[in-house]
Order: sequence, then C-alpha cells, then structure tokens
Amino acid sequence: MNKHKIMRIFLLLAGLIILICTGCSQEEEKELMFESNKEGELIIVAVGDSLTAGYGLAEEESYPAILGKKLRSEGYNCRVVNSGVSSETSSGLLSRIEWVLGLNPDIVILETGANDGLRGIDPEMVEKNIRDILFRLKDAEVITVLAGMKMVWNLGPLYVKRFNAIYPRLADESDIIFMPFFLKDVAMKSTLALGDGLHPNGDGYKIIADNIYPYVLEAVMKKQNL
Amino acid sequence: MTAGLQWKGERVINGKFLLRELLYSKKQAVIYILCVALSLVSLVAVNSFRSDIDRSISGDARALHGGDIILHSHYELSPGLQRAVVSLTEENRATAVRAWEFYSVARKSDESGSLLCNIKVVENGYPLYGRVDLASGREFSDVVDAGKIVVGQGVLDRLDMAVGDQLLIGSALFEIVDVILYESAKPVRFFNIGPPVLVSYKDLPVMDLVRQGSRVEYETLLKMDDANSVDSVAAWLRGRSLDGQERVETFRDAGSGIKRFFDNLLFFLSLISVCTLLLAGIGIESSLSAILRLKEKNFAIIRSFGATRAYLLHHYLLFVLILSAVGCALGVVSGLLVKGYLSVLFSGFLPQDIVFRSSVADLLEGVVVGLMVVLFFTFLPLWRINNIKPVVIFRRESSREEKTTTYYLCIVFGFSALCALLIRYLGEVSTGFYFLGGILLLLLIVNLMTRLALFSLSKIQWRRPGSRLALRSLLRPGNVTQSIVVTLSIPIALLLIIYLVENNLRGTYIDSFPADAPTLFCLDIQKNQQKAFRELAGGKITLHPVIRARLISINGKAVNRGREMKKRRDNLAREFNLTYREALLEDEILVAGKTLFRKDEKGEPVLQVSLLDTVAEMGNMTIGDILQFNIQGVKMEVEVTSIRSRTRSMLYPFFYFIFPEKYLKGAPQTYFAALHVESEEIPFLENRIVQSFPNISTVNIAETAKEMGRMMQKLSKIVNFFAAFSILAGGLIIVSSILATRFERIKETVYYKILGADSRFVLRIFFLENLLLGLLSSVFSIAVAQAAAWSLCHFFLGISYAPGWGACLWLIGLTIIFVVTLGLLGSIPIIRKKPGQFLRQLN
Repeated sequence: MNKHKIMRIFLLLAGLIILICTGCSQEEEKELMFESNKEGELIIVAVGDSLTAGYGLAEEESYPAILGKKLRSEGYNCRVVNSGVSSETSSGLLSRIEWVLGLNPDIVILETGANDGLRGIDPEMVEKNIRDILFRLKDAEVITVLAGMKMVWNLGPLYVKRFNAIYPRLADESDIIFMPFFLKDVAMKSTLALGDGLHPNGDGYKIIADNIYPYVLEAVMKKQNL
Repeated sequence: MTAGLQWKGERVINGKFLLRELLYSKKQAVIYILCVALSLVSLVAVNSFRSDIDRSISGDARALHGGDIILHSHYELSPGLQRAVVSLTEENRATAVRAWEFYSVARKSDESGSLLCNIKVVENGYPLYGRVDLASGREFSDVVDAGKIVVGQGVLDRLDMAVGDQLLIGSALFEIVDVILYESAKPVRFFNIGPPVLVSYKDLPVMDLVRQGSRVEYETLLKMDDANSVDSVAAWLRGRSLDGQERVETFRDAGSGIKRFFDNLLFFLSLISVCTLLLAGIGIESSLSAILRLKEKNFAIIRSFGATRAYLLHHYLLFVLILSAVGCALGVVSGLLVKGYLSVLFSGFLPQDIVFRSSVADLLEGVVVGLMVVLFFTFLPLWRINNIKPVVIFRRESSREEKTTTYYLCIVFGFSALCALLIRYLGEVSTGFYFLGGILLLLLIVNLMTRLALFSLSKIQWRRPGSRLALRSLLRPGNVTQSIVVTLSIPIALLLIIYLVENNLRGTYIDSFPADAPTLFCLDIQKNQQKAFRELAGGKITLHPVIRARLISINGKAVNRGREMKKRRDNLAREFNLTYREALLEDEILVAGKTLFRKDEKGEPVLQVSLLDTVAEMGNMTIGDILQFNIQGVKMEVEVTSIRSRTRSMLYPFFYFIFPEKYLKGAPQTYFAALHVESEEIPFLENRIVQSFPNISTVNIAETAKEMGRMMQKLSKIVNFFAAFSILAGGLIIVSSILATRFERIKETVYYKILGADSRFVLRIFFLENLLLGLLSSVFSIAVAQAAAWSLCHFFLGISYAPGWGACLWLIGLTIIFVVTLGLLGSIPIIRKKPGQFLRQLN
C-alpha cells in the first residue's frame, strides 16, 4: 500500500468520525424549538384551557389563530401563539407559567378557571391561583389581558355567585386589561357551540375573536407606548 | 348377466340392490350418519344457544343504556323531536321517560360542608330497563318522591351525613331517604367526578337549577312496544332531530366502551356458527367420499353389467337421502336432548340469568340449514358416480370427472345457497363475502402448500427402506394423500381459528379486569405536590406525568385536521397526553424496535418517541417516521424508534406517545395516578386528598370496575362455553374424518402383506406414513389459522393479537397422536390376518 493510499483512508476515517460527532451534537441540540422574535414583532401568547386551545376544532379555527390574522391584516406586527391546554385548571396553569414565560411574550391573554368551576373546586383557591399567575406575569413585565369567566347555573346559586365575583375583584386590584366575559354572545347558544353544548364552534370563535380584539389592541398600544 | 339385462331398461328403484348397498357399507354408513347427526346437533345447538345468548346480551345492553332508544341533547329537545316522541307514546307504541343530568354543588343544611354531586332528575317509570338497588331493599319507585332523594354512599361518607339528614341542592332542601347500591345504567358513564344523587322530576322547578345558563344533559329514554321496530323508529326519529345537536341512538349503537365488546362477542358467536357449518360440511363430504371411493370398483362392475349412470345416481341419491334422514332424525333427537338437559349439563358453567328456551323456529332452522349443508357437501362426491366408466375395473387410478354445464350450474347454485347461509349468520353482506373469500383462499393455500410439500418430499433421497416406502406410498399415483391432508387441515385450522380468536378476545377484554384493577383515579396533581401526595395516599404509587400537545405533522406532511375530525373513533387532530419514562409498563410489550428507546454511544437516549400500536395504525406511522408536535406553543421534532402494544385495557392508564425523560422533564406537566383502594375506604381517602389538595380531582371507579369485572366474568363464561362446545363438536368431526380416510390407507397394509412384509415392517411404514400426514396437516393448519386469526382480530375485531404458540405446539402433538393412533388401530386387525383374507375383505 503506498503512502497516498494510507493518507486517503486516514482522511476518510477522520471525516467519518467528525461527521458522526457533529451528528450527535446536532441531535442533542434539536430538543425543543422555542421560536425567536422577529425584528419588532410583538409576541402575544394566548394561555388558557380548551376554550383557548380550540377543543374539537382545527387550530386555525381557534380564536388565537383568528385574532392573529385579524391583527396582521390591520397592519400590526404581531404573532399570536396558542398555548391552550384542554381540561387544564388554574392550578395547572400556575404550574406552567414559567414555560409560558419561556415563549418571551410581550402580551398574555389569560383565560382560565372554567374547568375549576365545572369540577366544583373552591372559588377561593381559583382566585388565589389566578392572583399568583397575575403576579408572576407582572414580575416578568408582561402586559396581561384577563378574560373573565362566568359559571354555569346548575352548579348552584351560592357557588356561581362566589365564582363569578373572582374576576372583577382581581381586575380591580391589579393593573390589567379586563374583558368581563370571555364567552359573551356565545355561551349557551346552540348554533355557536359544538355538539357538547359547551365548546364554541368556528362561528363562535369568530365572535370571541371580534369581542376580544379591542382589549388586545389596548394591550398592543400599551406595549408600544412603554 | 340376467341382472344386467334387467338393469338396462329399469327406471324404478331396485329395493334389493339398495338394501344390499346399505348393508355392505355399514361401517362407513355409520360414520356418515354420525357426521350428519353431529353436524345437526352442533348447528341446532349453536343456533339456538346463540339466540338465547343474544337475548341475554341485548338485555344487558338495554339495562346499561336504560332504554331501547335514547335521545340525547345538551338543550331541551327540539319541537319536532318532542312531537315525534309524544305521537309514539300517544299511539301506545312506546313508553318514554325523561331524565336531566348535571353536576351541582350540594350543601349540608347547616352549610358546614359542600360536595360536587352528579344529579340525575328522573320521571316516574325510571329505569325502563335494568334496576336501581337501594340499601333498604325497597323499590326505587316507592322511595324517590317530592322532597325525597337517594344518594350514593360517597355523599354520606364525604359529607359525614346519614340517611334521614337533609341536603341542599340548588334552592331546595331534600331528605336523604336511602342509599344507592347499584344502578345498572351507571357503568356506561365511566368518568363521574361526583357521587350520584337521584331526584324526582317533581322537584325540578323548586331546585331551580335547570334554566338558561345551565349545562344539562337532556335524555329521553324510550321502551318500544314492538322490539323489532327499534331500528326503524330510531331512523324515523333521527329524521326529526337537529343534526349535530341531538343524538338518537339505540341500545345497540349507543356509544359506550362496553358496546365494542358486545359487538365483538356477537361476531365471535357468528364465527362459531359459520365454522361449525363448515366443519359439519367437511365431515359429511369426507365420510361420503370415503364410502364412494371404496365402492368405485363395484360401480364400474355394475356399469359393465349394463346399469346406466342414471340408475346408479338415483340409487345412490336415495342411499344418501336414507342415511341423511337417519342422521337428521338422530341429530334432532340428540339436539332436543342436549337442549332439554342443558341447564343440568352446564349448571355453573353458564351465567345464571341466561334462560334457555326451546324454540321450534330455532330447531327448524337448524334442520333446514343442516339439510342444505348435507345437499351441498354431498353433491361433489355423488357427481363422481356419474362419471364412473366400466374401464375403471382395469385401471388402478380413479376415473376422471366430466364437468358439464349442469355440473357448473349445480356448483353455482350450491355455492350461492352457501353464501346466503353465511351472510345470514354473519348479518352483513360484505362481511359474508369477506368470509367466503377468506375460506376459499384458505382452501387454495392449503392445497398449494400440500402440493409444494409433497413435491419437495419427493425430491429427498431417503436411505432407510421404511421411510422410503412410506414416502413412496404417500406419493404414488392414485393415492389420496393431498385430499387427506386438505380434509384434515381445514377443520383443524377452523378449530384453531376459534381458539385463537377466543384467546385474544379474552386477553383484550376479560383478563384486563383483574382483582387489583384501579378503583380511584386522581387527576391534576401538580409537580410540587408529588411528594406530599405520595405520603398522603400511601403505598407504592406510580405518578404518570401528563403533557398536553398536538401532533402537527408526520414526515413533514401536516395532519389533515378536516379529515381526521370526521373519523368516528379516535383521531390525530385532537390534543394528546404525552408522557415520559425510561421503561415499559407491566402491561406493555414492544411490537417493533429492539428497545423502548435508542441510545447514543454514551448510553443516553436520543430525542425520539415510542408509539402505542393503536395510534401508529391511526396515522400509518412506523419506525423511522419523523413527527412534529406543538407542546403548548413550542415545537418539537422526533423520530419514532419503537412501537408498543398493551396487554390490558380500559381501566389502566395508557399513553400513545412516550418520550425519554430528559427531553420532556422541563415541559409543563401535571400528574395522573391510578390507585387500587378498597371501595369502602375510597370516600375517606377522597376527603383527605381534597382537603389537602383542593385542585386534585378524584374519580371513583370502584363501582364501574366491580360492575365491569362482573360482566366480563359472565361474558367469559359465554365465550368459554361456545368455544368448548365448538371445539368438542369439531374434534369429533375431525376424528370421523380420520376414520373415513383411514380406509384408503388400510388398503396399503393389504398390499404390503401380500408382498410378504412382516407385521413390524408394515407397522413401521404405517407409523411413518401417518406421522407425516399428521405433521403436514397440523403445520399447514397452524400456518393458515395464524394468518386468518390475525386478520380477524386486526380487521374485524380491532383488538391486539397474541399468537399462542404454546397451544399450536400442543395441537401438532395431539393431531399426530390422533392420526397415528387411529391409523394404526385400524390396520392392526388386518395385519393379524392372513393375506388371502385381506383380498376377500378388500373386495
């Protein structure tokens, strides 16, 4: 075997080893892909439960997707991220708030508590959880739009009264933008709900997106004025 | 010769000839009669048992759903549907009962405690089917009235109350008058997060909980006066319901986890009927063929004396009809005896609430079906008589059959009749055709495999003279080795199919409800509550991390949400619960991939996902596919490196997607626990959990688990019974097939003996020959049965498949023992006699 041949084999092997090593490190780096902000783009994260996630529908039909399109069509450089988790309670959201902050949001639309109510969880605890979430968002200097919730009547007058009072009270005590009822004009309307009578359908989400739009716009202005 | 002249012009039946033929074929005739009788007994029995079982299962399904037809909506029924229900009740065609079901926070009258309860407000007459058992033993309808409610034990335990205490629900105060022990309609609703409370409809207005702004399930249950009108009335009601808002279901198609098991069980019963039908046919065909093959030379001699084809055919048709009539009579009498003594014979073996009714219709159907099977399966052997020519006397091989248009017409007619029978048994045209196709394929494959095996064997050079002779004897021209192997393989394969399907049904549904099945689910445990929760709940608890995510694309191709959402069962467009762990659960097995996760050179798992086989099938995903997930706004791309399957079901937690821990540990997650707690301790544990962790929701499934376990035990008995009965009947038919084909092989013994072979030599050859036949038949039947049973489980039943190789090995051993023993036993008397006697016996 001549020297050139040995050299060629050596180089080939060295190349292979480098290729394998870079392959490994790329694999490890792949993990989770947090999308970075584009220049000047506002990141709006819609956090919440199935009502935000768009349960039973394609993600494009959920209100965050409609809202994102509407903002862009109106010329706002915004990206709306859907971070809804079906069947999540306020406790669950409190546990994952750091994850939400990892998305680098400028604005958070906070919709939570419906599942707590439907499970009859003590309203006091729901209020505490949401208050803690609001504190954490405030700490992170994120502008928050709090979407209020009203509980279904069958839970009983006393429970409903205690639950419905949570959101206005929280709105009063903190510097947030408050939408009094997330499901305004949509709740309990069979034509705007899926077969389960609870989750909005595509038409329902269009109304929700229209209703929430002015509050989000207010948040965008607030951010731009900072 | 005179007789020959008489035959030539004779058109009438010659009684003496017929009697002589019957007497001279007594051994084979007895086998044939037994085959017909056995077929009839098994057909009549399976047919009538099936309708009894069907009645029992339908009763259970009605009790589970509470009515024949169930109308369901989250709103008040639309005026059109309401009018339709009123017209049905006014015409006395149906009885209707309304129910309102919702959750509400019930409070103690002194406001010292509250609890989320599952409230069900019911009209008089509830339940239409099934029952509500109360602790006092009183009738439900006598107890629940205005102001008086019955509650689940959980309400009393968790609120520290007793019967006689008062409970506030909405704006009304109620007296708790009894405790619900059992409600047949409950197991269908698997996830109830509150204990049940049953309230009279008279209290609906005073409670003031059902109004605009309430989330209520409105249910109207209908009991039809004419049980046969259920499907047509349901279709009529569907036409009057609001699409997407109102659901009209029957007890047969109402959505429940148990329904699928019922469907599968009924399908299994149909499968047994079909297999019994075919087994019977094979038994009849093989025994008649044996009779006629032995008489082939006699027929040729008779033909050479001048008898016409028609003469022979008419006489043998009558011959078969007489034997079949005797077989039928014997079958009907035995069928009636079996039916009459069934409760005695199988006491403790079958569920107690199955009532066996002697139905003349079932019996008649069995007889008609039996006769049709006799006709179809006797046609081919009888046709051969038509083609026997006098020249056969001088040749060793059988005469070739002439296939005329009539022959083909008869085949088409017979085949169509058989198709009709199969479709009737299977209930669906397409399934019937699939089955027929499958059976034809089975026949073709066994035929091909036999040919191939015999060809390969002929190419082997055997050194030992015994083996060589045994093989040559099997391969010589004119030998019926191929038909013997096919005749034996098909029934063995059919029996093995029944066994394997039964085994897999049991594995999927019945064995998945062991005594230590979970009884309490705890949801929404937070990351920082893990340690404290473990301490509170005690024991060794597995906490499963739950991470919600959506699947975005498979190999770069976006999940088609529109198409997925239209799927009736699960779909890929919904949100999934991901989890992470490093090992398989006890009830999981790997079906693809060597390990759960692939490791890199440092021994660390790379970014990858393990799929459950059900989700892999849903999206045609396989190892190496790249999946992209959206985990609450964050994207992740992973490669599929293993596929898992489950051995238990329903009550055990399972996850479609499992990741290595290091990649999802940081993702937002809650924990889920499935605990096994004795049912009487559950309310106290629930109280402790809720007091310490108000965010954790508990789901008490003890009653569901108990009820499911009870039902599965009952159904297990049914499955066992049917499988055992069919296997017994099939086993007897196989024995008769072996006996029928045995005569062919006995002839060989005679020839060896004439040529001077000693008894030991003949026995050895005979042993080897039978060993080879048994081995070929069992191996072929296992191959086709495995393929067929897998297809049935996979495509028709939708359950996972375990091949049961242990049973297959047993089958090989048993078949060989059967074939060799019966073959040798038959030849021993001949071996002991002198060659002259053989020749006389042979003729």
